[in-house]
Amino acid sequence: MAAPASAPAPAARMRASGNWIALLPFAVLVAVWLVVPLTMDVPFYVLPPIGTVIETLWDKLASGELWSDVLSSLGLLFAGFVIGNALAFPLGIAIARSRFVSQLVQPVVIFMQSIAGIAWVPLAIIWFGLGVGSVLFVIVNTIFFANLYNVIAGVRSISPTLFRAVRSHGGRGWQIYWHLVIPGALLQVIVGLRTSMAYGWRALVAGEMIAGSSGIGFRTMEAVQWYKSDVVVLGMLIIGVLWLLMDRILFVPLEARTVRRWGMIHR
Amino acid sequence: MSTAAGVIQSGAPWALAGRLPLRRHMPLILGIAGFAIVIALWEISALAFGLSVRLYPTPLSVLHTFVDLIRKGILPVHVTDSLARYVSGVAIGTVVAVVLGVLFGLNRFVARMMLPLVNFLYAIVEVSWIPLFVLWFGYGPKVILLALIYVVAFPVLFNCLTGVLSVPQVYVNAVRSLGATRAQVIRQVILPAILPNFMTGFRVGAGFAFRALVFGEVIAAQTGLGFLIFEGAQMQDTSRTVVGMISMGVLWLFFDRVYLRPLERATLERWGMIAGEGQG
Repeated sequence: MAAPASAPAPAARMRASGNWIALLPFAVLVAVWLVVPLTMDVPFYVLPPIGTVIETLWDKLASGELWSDVLSSLGLLFAGFVIGNALAFPLGIAIARSRFVSQLVQPVVIFMQSIAGIAWVPLAIIWFGLGVGSVLFVIVNTIFFANLYNVIAGVRSISPTLFRAVRSHGGRGWQIYWHLVIPGALLQVIVGLRTSMAYGWRALVAGEMIAGSSGIGFRTMEAVQWYKSDVVVLGMLIIGVLWLLMDRILFVPLEARTVRRWGMIHR
Repeated sequence: MSTAAGVIQSGAPWALAGRLPLRRHMPLILGIAGFAIVIALWEISALAFGLSVRLYPTPLSVLHTFVDLIRKGILPVHVTDSLARYVSGVAIGTVVAVVLGVLFGLNRFVARMMLPLVNFLYAIVEVSWIPLFVLWFGYGPKVILLALIYVVAFPVLFNCLTGVLSVPQVYVNAVRSLGATRAQVIRQVILPAILPNFMTGFRVGAGFAFRALVFGEVIAAQTGLGFLIFEGAQMQDTSRTVVGMISMGVLWLFFDRVYLRPLERATLERWGMIAGEGQG
């Protein structure tokens, strides 16, 4: 059976040989986008010419609007990530370590988890008003539940032998948590980080579109009202590029440095 | 499960219950107690905040609204609409992805050529397509259906293509040197090898799709649970919102437990390829 674990080899080969041919589909797409507005009578609100989108990009770069939108979105994501994890770690460890807590809390948590973060947006708007508060609430909610699952799975994956080993060497109280539980669970958390951030990213963009007053998602949805398709398309492209950058700059190296090096590849 | 915790925590209070007949039912009792505590805290917080029921619903007002919405036949209509949208979107998205996956994946060269584009489109999350879909089709069910198809198709397609590329060439060569035809290589080597990838992609897509459904219905629908949630908040009748949220949670639990997990167990876990991952 071909295990997915054998993925790195061809992937590495692909990078080494410089996969230039992969630019072809992109080129075709751009060519179609160039030609269609010229040859066919497509209204502007349906498909903006590629030139207009590039102009809009320059305008927004020059005015600094783009930077402030991107920074505001990323800042919210980061804040939501920190708060969500600060809540998820203690509860996750408690659930994984104590059968009493697990039996008491886990059914409720499973139920709450299945209510998608985005479904909280309307209620959040009533409580916190339109703006940063509501969006942050939704991101924290999403990241919390996504990573709670990872923390529980991570702590439970630590072998009981290790607990006995730490205890027999005189490890007590906080030492067990500091030297065994947290590093042990971190592995699973790192593996799940990409997935949970993918959920958090969607929650951010969706939250900004419905309840935001700033950020890239807000700007993109706002443009729909004025039929500014150039701003909409630009927003989409930026959302895509930002996610790819986060993935390449943060998660891929992080996984390579930690999980893969420790020989614990799951995919 | 919690055997690790059990070994270590032999002094915990529940160990006492071992001698009582209660023990067998302990998880159930504690589980119900957990819900009871949450509902009690909710009620107390409602009293403590002293907000109007319209802004901060109480458990009782939610129950009342729930019964009311069912009696008037409103809730069942929203549930069926959401369900129909979800199932059709996920089904079409999966079929599209499988057809494209087979087309691109038959040839390693094509798979390698298409993978970066697929990855790029996958990164433009469906959420950010919704504004453009709204420009194209106006606010309506088409927008939601397209978003669902999109959100399911790309994780499935992406994972299938990475699957094709991760099949070691040695296996293909081995089977070919034994005289296998091209079709046999695909049927006997490639397809079984990418099934786990397909399942991973499908699982991710099905999870994202449920969120996309809620979001799409909030933005662009006149029916469905997402609409119910949004409408309740707009009319400042938050009990409706909470009824919608709870129904949504139950619906997802139902999908997850009745369809997705058994499907996963039947395919991945049987082959020892568990990839269970965060599903916030």
